[in-house]
Amino acid sequence: MSASDDNVKDVPSDNHEEGHGNGSIGFVILFFVVGLIGSLLTGWVLFPKLLYSQKEQPIDFNHQIHMDAVSDGCESCHFFREDGSFSGVPTIAQCIECHEEAQTEDPNEIKLVQEYIANGEEVPWLVYARQPDCVFFSHAAHKEMDCTTCHGDIGHSENLKTYEENRLTGYSRDIWGHNIGGFKKNTWDRMKMDDCAECHERETGSKGPCFQCHK
Amino acid sequence: MKIDRRNFLTLGGSLVAGGVVGTTLSPLPWKLMDDAAIWTQNWSWTPVPTDGKVSYENTVCTLCPGRCGISVRKVASRAIKIEGRKDFPVNKGGICILGLSGLQLLYGPTRVKTPLMKTGNGTFKTISWDEAIESVSAKLNELRSSGKSDSVAFLSDSDQGVTAGLIKRFLKAYGSPNFISEATFKDAYKLALKKMQGIDAEANFDIDNADYVLSFGSGIIEGWESPVRMIKANSALKTRKAKLCQIEPRLSMTAAKADKWLPVVPGTEKELALALIHVILKKSLYNKDFVARNTVGLDKLTQLTDSFSPEKVSGITGIKPEDIMALAADFARASHPIAICGKGQGNTPESMTQIMAVHTLNTLVGNINKKGGVFTVSLPDYVTWDQPEMDETGTTGNSKDRIDGAGKGQYKDTMSLAHRLAGIVNAQGKNPVEALFVSGSNPLYTFTDSIAVKKAFEKIPFIVSFSSFMDETAKMASIILPNHTNLERFEDVIVSTEAGKSAIGLAKPVVDPRFDTKPTGDALILIAKALEGSVAEAFSWESFEACLEETLGDKWEELKENGFLENADSAIASNNKIDFSALTDNGLAAIEGDTANFPLTLIPYDSLRLAHMNIGSPPFLIKTVEDTVLKGNDILVEINPKTAGKLNLSEGKYAKLKTPKGTVNVKVHLFEGIMPGVIAMARGLGHTAYDDYLAGKGVNFNELIGPVEDPASGLDISWGIRANLTKA
Amino acid sequence: MKENHSNDKANKFGMVIDLDKCTGCGACMVACMSENNVPFKKDESKKLDSITWMHLYRLTNKKPFPDTEVCYLPRPCMHCEGAHGHPPCVSVCPATATDYDKKTGIVSQIYTRCFGCRYCMGACPYHARYFNWWDPVWPEGMENYLSPNVSPRMRGVVEKCSLCFHRYQLAMDKAYHEGRKELEEHEYQSSCTQACPAGAITFGDLNNPHHQVHKMVKPSKHGGKPTATNAFRLLERLGTNPKIYYLSSKEWVRRLGDNYLPEEKTGEIGNHQPKGHH
Repeated sequence: MSASDDNVKDVPSDNHEEGHGNGSIGFVILFFVVGLIGSLLTGWVLFPKLLYSQKEQPIDFNHQIHMDAVSDGCESCHFFREDGSFSGVPTIAQCIECHEEAQTEDPNEIKLVQEYIANGEEVPWLVYARQPDCVFFSHAAHKEMDCTTCHGDIGHSENLKTYEENRLTGYSRDIWGHNIGGFKKNTWDRMKMDDCAECHERETGSKGPCFQCHK
Repeated sequence: MKIDRRNFLTLGGSLVAGGVVGTTLSPLPWKLMDDAAIWTQNWSWTPVPTDGKVSYENTVCTLCPGRCGISVRKVASRAIKIEGRKDFPVNKGGICILGLSGLQLLYGPTRVKTPLMKTGNGTFKTISWDEAIESVSAKLNELRSSGKSDSVAFLSDSDQGVTAGLIKRFLKAYGSPNFISEATFKDAYKLALKKMQGIDAEANFDIDNADYVLSFGSGIIEGWESPVRMIKANSALKTRKAKLCQIEPRLSMTAAKADKWLPVVPGTEKELALALIHVILKKSLYNKDFVARNTVGLDKLTQLTDSFSPEKVSGITGIKPEDIMALAADFARASHPIAICGKGQGNTPESMTQIMAVHTLNTLVGNINKKGGVFTVSLPDYVTWDQPEMDETGTTGNSKDRIDGAGKGQYKDTMSLAHRLAGIVNAQGKNPVEALFVSGSNPLYTFTDSIAVKKAFEKIPFIVSFSSFMDETAKMASIILPNHTNLERFEDVIVSTEAGKSAIGLAKPVVDPRFDTKPTGDALILIAKALEGSVAEAFSWESFEACLEETLGDKWEELKENGFLENADSAIASNNKIDFSALTDNGLAAIEGDTANFPLTLIPYDSLRLAHMNIGSPPFLIKTVEDTVLKGNDILVEINPKTAGKLNLSEGKYAKLKTPKGTVNVKVHLFEGIMPGVIAMARGLGHTAYDDYLAGKGVNFNELIGPVEDPASGLDISWGIRANLTKA
Repeated sequence: MKENHSNDKANKFGMVIDLDKCTGCGACMVACMSENNVPFKKDESKKLDSITWMHLYRLTNKKPFPDTEVCYLPRPCMHCEGAHGHPPCVSVCPATATDYDKKTGIVSQIYTRCFGCRYCMGACPYHARYFNWWDPVWPEGMENYLSPNVSPRMRGVVEKCSLCFHRYQLAMDKAYHEGRKELEEHEYQSSCTQACPAGAITFGDLNNPHHQVHKMVKPSKHGGKPTATNAFRLLERLGTNPKIYYLSSKEWVRRLGDNYLPEEKTGEIGNHQPKGHH
């Protein structure tokens, strides 16, 4: 039985046994570094790959084309209802208004018409911003803000990105943010409670009571 | 380097240390901790209700005869909440506990999902509507062609509206006189008006505007008449500082909320009413002007009530003579006094003497067809179809006598005597009922002496149920043709509102039908068409909805839009005088059982928290039932501590309750609010059908009592029975 | 701290329940269960584990026949303010799963945050809190009527009346949408208030002198004790400062609302603030 055998077993990363000297300090440092690098790589690189599964949207929706065609920006499709509630992801009934028949030869549109509109079925969109059931988010209360503040500039995208689903929680990667370390550069990079609280604290002076955002 | 044990540990240790430091500096533990926390909150078996556009749809609740306007809140296509409709003239925004629970019936597990047919081994098999209609019409054809069309009977919960109209028309064209509907105290009151005044009118009690209410056991806040309307009227009494005097043997909630509660020996309420008339006449407290102009037979009345002096009646009723006198004076001196009767929710008829005495009281104070009094109104009648063309079988069948004996001889004015059904079928000799159709009714549970009713149903060869739910009667049926539930169908209703006004209401579908069910009207039309000949010709409508539309005519669009149509004041402008001499006394209302073997009197009590008529209580209702009414599967019987002491019974202990009709195990609940010698049991428990939330809990009160016929009307006025309670 | 930065107009939502009008019909209990996705079990007769956010208590004057009297008392969560926004339950929660909202005066309960230690249940003097001993199970099909506005709970957490806070959330949504920041009295009403056929429950902002609830009980500026005739709160003596007020013309009912010593006069309790409150 040799040490290197053990090491190979313990640490799946690169590992070369070079030193033959008697100075065990060197070895200690080396082993420490190997462990350090191995676990850093595991945590920063391998872990996110394992944590998220990749899912494709049922239809590759082109926001940009729609944005060009409508007059009222995001609210043309993602509108407020009369009672102040937010309609969120459009239902198939909304799509039918324009797409009762395919207007182009785009395979995505044809899929929409043939598979969903013809059968009266809802498109099973994977919602990047979907929050747990206990969360109450009032779009009306945030009406003054730009959509992009939280959702980014999705309105001008031409494709839908791959939906990365957290295998443990079942929610989208966009909630925690793409950066596995949780660091964000833009306001729309993360949608965790802390991100809500951060803004609330800045704007209103307190995080607010629990019931403000929970149900 | 030689790898020895020491080196191995050192190097291994440094590797692990590096791993620990690296892991700590990586997002792995922190992210995992966060995700794990979220994971613990994901309970895949806890439902996550889907969101969507909220809408409200108005309809009328038909779960009880109260007929409230309701507003059903929907999220996308799901109905999620039932609320009271603010602009509906009956309930004005309020809603009762049963109406609120309506979605548990719509979405609940007791629905009959498709037509069913009983197989040889007693289980049901699913059949198609075509098969079901064919089987039913084959049986009806067979009976008709063998000249037994009058052996078909139809039991219905109501005789109002288009569906009941279709049933009556069907029987007429088919050739059977046996349309049997259930009677309540309102039907008995109607009969009393016919006998006293010769009018066909419904009584409408304007508690809403009265300033003194004298109630002979009516649970005006426990579901009497239209529950929500009456509770609102009671609140209005409080606001106006009007008075309510409640006369009954038990401290019901109505008694508890009344200004005065006079405990009366059960069954002696009419003697008390006669004594009040006695005092009013003797002291000349009546409205002489009104009586002179509108009545006849005052001398007969004086004669009849002469012997009912407060002193004598005090001995019968247990109420002090001075209380009787004060009560008569308070009642007669109020400016808008009203006397009412119909015990509990009023689902059982009262004796003619009782009702006529109450109506006489109202007449003596001149409070007929006046604000705060009794209105005698003719209800809107829009079911005005041409008589069906009849063939010979039809004419012969209709000329035969009704099986229940109603509508002729001494009971010529009585519409139906439904309670006689069991007795007729169980009697020796030939069973006159070859086929029984049951719509909206659950006789196996709601009829008195329900064990005898069950025996009778076992003898009826062909039973068709139209129930939406697998209730006791549906379970006994040969074929079930399930109706849509109240939230899935159209139904026309007639509602009474305050001050003698009435309105037509239209219940309409608020959700798509969940299962393969059909409105009873549609099923009837299909059966009639399958019978061909004159029966089919009498049913030329395409569908029930088409029939409704045609029948309601120009009212249809507005009803569909608004849900109701208010009529103008519909009080009868009849010049007929009220004849006091119709009031006769048949003596004390007898109940079954001798006092030696059955020293106690068992009475039922009604509560809004337990549905006891044709709809079984949904789970929400059972949840609100107190543990002094139901504990586990045991029902508790109320008894005065004094009586319990004599019988050596104590709180929560088991006891054996015996009546001439049966023996059951119960638990004891000591209650200071009940007369010594009387015991009381809640109605609405003891179901053998429905789901696990209802079935097998408690005892059905109707198993313990039998029918008691009022000699003047023939109606079942059973209000209790003699009983014995012994330590188990 | 700029704690009150946006709280310039704090509401104090509460109820006044007229026990003279209450008929004990149970509509409030079911209106609540139906609005708030409250589950039910096959046997609900063990009242200790039966979840009823709104519960009807049956009171009697304990006098023998025929002087017996009965009165029902509907009991939601009292949404105690305590002395300075510290209700008994909030003070003991180790998980911050319940808090006191100074903007609305509502005591919240966050189910996903609760880990079920049940300290709050011990601390609550009104038995207003309920523990989920079992997972909620709806018979097949019945999950169809569940409301998306209130999250269904899971086994192992505590739940209680929220004053239908979600209705406040939805009413505010509408107000924001219409460019308002304040609600009209009728816009936010609890489910039990709306359903009560007797009109025994009145709901509104106790801080707003134009609201019915304020006019009906005239709460004192400090401690909120009602000054109107026949008005009282449950266990006034404890200084929990609840926001549910009751009206009863019957003295025995008012006395049952607190632990009166025989010599104490009805309504006297709570006139003097207990020491230690600042």
